[in-house]
Amino acid sequence: MMEIKAYSRITADKMVVNGSTVYSSSDGENINLTDLYRHLGIDYPKFFKMDNLCKAGFLGAETIIRDAGMDTVTPKKDCDIVLFNSTSSLDDDIAYNNTIEDDANYFPSPSVFVYTLANIVTGEIAIRNKIMGESSFYVLKEFSSSIIYSVVKETAQETSANAVLCGWADFLNNTPDVLLMLLQRTDDGKIQFTAENINKLYR
Amino acid sequence: MTICVTGIGIISSIGVGRQATLDSLLTGRCNIAPIAHFKTIHSDLVSAEVVQSNEQLIELLGGGLKEPLTRTALLGMVALDQAYKEARVEEQRPQRVAFVSGTTVGGMDKSEQFYLDFLNNDSKNQYIASHDCGRCSEMIADYCGHFDIITTISTACSSAANAVIFGANLLKTGRTDMAIVGGSECITKFHLNGFNTLRILDKEPCRPFDASRAGLNLGEGAAYLVLESEASALKRGVEPLCKLSGYANFCDAHHQTASSEDGEGAFLAMSGALQNSGLQPEDIDYINAHGTGTVNNDLSEGIAISRLFSKRGIPPVSSTKSFTGHTTSASGSIEAVISILSIQHGFIPANLRFRNKIEELSFVPSSDIGLKVDVNNVLTNSFGFGGNDTTLIFSKYKKE
Amino acid sequence: MEKYNLLRKILINYTDNIMEQLILELKKQIIEVLNLEDVKPEDIDSQAPLFGEGLGLDSIDALELIVLMEKNYGIKLSDPAQGKEIFKSVETMAEYIEANRKK
Repeated sequence: MMEIKAYSRITADKMVVNGSTVYSSSDGENINLTDLYRHLGIDYPKFFKMDNLCKAGFLGAETIIRDAGMDTVTPKKDCDIVLFNSTSSLDDDIAYNNTIEDDANYFPSPSVFVYTLANIVTGEIAIRNKIMGESSFYVLKEFSSSIIYSVVKETAQETSANAVLCGWADFLNNTPDVLLMLLQRTDDGKIQFTAENINKLYR
Repeated sequence: MTICVTGIGIISSIGVGRQATLDSLLTGRCNIAPIAHFKTIHSDLVSAEVVQSNEQLIELLGGGLKEPLTRTALLGMVALDQAYKEARVEEQRPQRVAFVSGTTVGGMDKSEQFYLDFLNNDSKNQYIASHDCGRCSEMIADYCGHFDIITTISTACSSAANAVIFGANLLKTGRTDMAIVGGSECITKFHLNGFNTLRILDKEPCRPFDASRAGLNLGEGAAYLVLESEASALKRGVEPLCKLSGYANFCDAHHQTASSEDGEGAFLAMSGALQNSGLQPEDIDYINAHGTGTVNNDLSEGIAISRLFSKRGIPPVSSTKSFTGHTTSASGSIEAVISILSIQHGFIPANLRFRNKIEELSFVPSSDIGLKVDVNNVLTNSFGFGGNDTTLIFSKYKKE
Repeated sequence: MEKYNLLRKILINYTDNIMEQLILELKKQIIEVLNLEDVKPEDIDSQAPLFGEGLGLDSIDALELIVLMEKNYGIKLSDPAQGKEIFKSVETMAEYIEANRKK
């Protein structure tokens, strides 16, 4: 039985972890991911190299993984990462395109190009936490709790994972849209992993 | 459930279809040359382009196709059509058929061509919709007919291999009766320049597993495999080409684009696939390596192979990217098809242009062209950026 | 002789100043281009190794430094392996730029 041990939700104006708001942006402004990083007291200089999608996914994962007692050192071969979004890496694709669209000022940026792949966010979370199980990234037309539920359930079954970090990680137009859930095989009666509950946490 | 492959389709720089591909593999013929299909300042870089222009691809598909058409979609249609026909999907249609396709660039070849038009006028707006990866899969699927599930995997260079895993899982969980899986990708300025800024492209034809290797050559193409249960194949009266006997995906968790020094992700993927298949390392007759030809990958993957196989002897290893170039999102299925050809025709595809052993490795790749050998089990690797490492194992099909 | 020594002193002072300015400019550019958000120019030791220990930069950072050289100073590095010597420290980088800059 897979249960949602912890979850985080980052939207345009706040970050909520396990039901409590941990950060709100200033009036009218969209949430600033660097401010959120500092507020959460994380020390990981590589954060600043990431693109917005990776920053958002990383921050969504960081608190819930730490809270679950998982460290950043022990290789975790029985933990999978399964993420979804609808805009793929579009936010960074635009940034990369800006470095190559002007013939007169043509300097393709390697560090920006690296992030023009949606699944790098699974890579960044894996690198930080030494998570070495199966990792995958799916691009859907729109958020779908039923697809997320069935794909994650089958992945966990197929790989016999003991933990799965899964959910929605999207970023476009300066707006994060993240719902990350840490699933574990536990029976402590917390939130059951069902399509209905995924939907509840997202809305 | 025994998962069988009952149809394959392929198009790459070494040919259209299984026979042309086989001929190239058996004769050592490849087509790695400066870019011909679009204008680029990088006239000094060589790539493995598919010979046919878009117009010629449309002709191959019987003409009469409606725009918007993108190169990735056209390549995909050519490959899907072959697999679809070989497995006789139309004549003996199973109840539910899924299509799982991997791509990263989608319709980018047109988007980068018409980018300024998108900004300044409405004349090319139809190519905005065709840019999308998901739309690309739909366009490919629509060419052949009706599918009950169409989905897209986008995990960089492991996309097509992961599409195979996803399709297998759909079958095992009873969500479909047949899964046609693979990937398609064409070369675009976007990723040609991107890989170039990462300084991992070789100006010469690549030399995987060679001490002097200097990078990869980009390639393009598409390949699809038709997967179904043994029971389904027998019921439909279609002879399996081989079995998909094992697979696994693990994360290297080391760096966004580079592989770890001890090849841990690759090691986990290969051992995971072996465990999944119930086979032992000594059962593998041929390893079709990821073997991009970069300094980093070939060393890392080589070390992982040694770690896993040295005890009982390392089987022949080769990188067929020395033939096809690195076809990125399509590489997992293109190389799966090549692996299947090696089983069916009993030969080891060569690792071209090898001259000197990598000092740190204990083995050399197999460089004899068309080496005839009985091949029962093939292990093939596809590693994507983000440490996304996948291994597939295909085995000879023997009716019980 | 005195005039000559004085001139010499002024020239050396002048070149030292140019080098100092370039080093400071470089530090600021490195911080910006490599997203070293929590690092200030005064935190970077001009002679400390940039890669490995020191700032702990990686292979992608090395590539961005190559782009920086071309973009800001017009210096094209055709072989990334040259980077190993040039990017040893901010000081070696500055010395190379001063000797080869086209902008």
